[in-house]
Amino acid sequence: METDISGVSRARVSVLPSAEITTTLRPETERPRCASTPCSPIRGTVTGYQILHMDSNYLVGFTTGEELLKTAHKWSDGTAEKGSGTEAVSSSTQSTISKSVDLGIHRSSRILKAKSRSYQPYDVPSANGRRRRRMPSCCDTIHRSFAPSEPGRALHASLPLCLLKGKRAQSKSLDYLNLDKISIKQSSDTEVLQYQLQHLNLRGERVFTRKKT
Amino acid sequence: MSYSCTSSQETPSAANPAKDAHGTESSTSDGNPTQRADMKVKKGCSSTEVGVPVTTEEDLLSSTVITPEDVLGLQKITENYLCSPDENVFNIDFTRFRIRDMETGTVLFEITKPPSTDKAGERRDIDPNAGRFVRYQFTPAFLRLRQVGATVEFTVGDMPIENFRMIERHYFRERLLKSFDFEFGFCMPSSKNTCEHIYEFPPLSEDIIREMVLHPYETQSDSFYFVDNKLVMHNKADYSYNGGT
Repeated sequence: METDISGVSRARVSVLPSAEITTTLRPETERPRCASTPCSPIRGTVTGYQILHMDSNYLVGFTTGEELLKTAHKWSDGTAEKGSGTEAVSSSTQSTISKSVDLGIHRSSRILKAKSRSYQPYDVPSANGRRRRRMPSCCDTIHRSFAPSEPGRALHASLPLCLLKGKRAQSKSLDYLNLDKISIKQSSDTEVLQYQLQHLNLRGERVFTRKKT
Repeated sequence: MSYSCTSSQETPSAANPAKDAHGTESSTSDGNPTQRADMKVKKGCSSTEVGVPVTTEEDLLSSTVITPEDVLGLQKITENYLCSPDENVFNIDFTRFRIRDMETGTVLFEITKPPSTDKAGERRDIDPNAGRFVRYQFTPAFLRLRQVGATVEFTVGDMPIENFRMIERHYFRERLLKSFDFEFGFCMPSSKNTCEHIYEFPPLSEDIIREMVLHPYETQSDSFYFVDNKLVMHNKADYSYNGGT
């Protein structure tokens, strides 16, 4: 068996992404930076994990299913509270935020090209004789009950189907309680509720049980 | 932590360690702080070859036991997990993951999982599948890499693991890009194991690159883990390559 040959860490060029992109990262400490030294690598935490290093030349975001579900829940609550009268405000906010993100990425791109010769950005085909610097934003991703105007949504643009199915499975399991049929008198009976909760837990454990042939 | 091995000659998804026939691997296994054991590793291979019977997710969900041959016949990403988290009876737990560019030695990403401090019952309301999914947001530059090494560290419970095997399948939309097969072999009980896989990315057509960049999270992967040819873990991941724009 070959022994592990650990790679030698070399000076890296990392650019701290704009806040809109790294909503799932919570920086541990703020490091002083100097123009003559490479920027500090990205460090942060995601629920249950600690990111030790992330080179933003290649990776700008990482998140887990738990974070996605939490964010989705938070946004759906916020969307329900806002109502329909804030669309005009949202659109203007989106344009402002998009502009700031663009500037951030534009600035980051310049820094990357200045400091790293090995960086090979995706070569965007020129349009009308002008070469664009950045990728167009995705417009055909399935969005799930999110207000697209809020910042930091790129990483949480859509929930994967496997998580959505899990949410629906959990919601369906509540039907077993027949909550809508519980009378006021019954709802105050803690013993009944405890019994029902026990069955809810058991039902949740059986979600993944495959059918026995 | 959601890991799966990829040994890609076409797929630039380096979120999971893997190896291919041209890569090299190295591993250590620590039964205790002073005990090391070598781990046999089988070279990975692509499973897009003909002759593999086609299977569907619906068929496998009705099966009592899912084998490696079963998942090798899947033609698209699964909508559901094919096993529950409770079926990881061997308590395989990934504790660290790192990827690096082999040409420059640059570490691209490293993540670790601190010891769990959750009290019993605190996470009851969280979807049990949430811990089996991760999402990566790469930049287009990642697609230009040629050789990436991926190191994974994992612990196992108090039962020995015979024939630990990992199969990972990558899809762009509903097109199978690459399937990778990797065998860890035997794992000692209560051991911590480290393995690095070095794999090469093939040159991608500009059309494929463009499509993958323009359609974030439509590149997805299923990672299936087997012990004694029985599915014990199933992790998922999806990827974007637009750098967050």
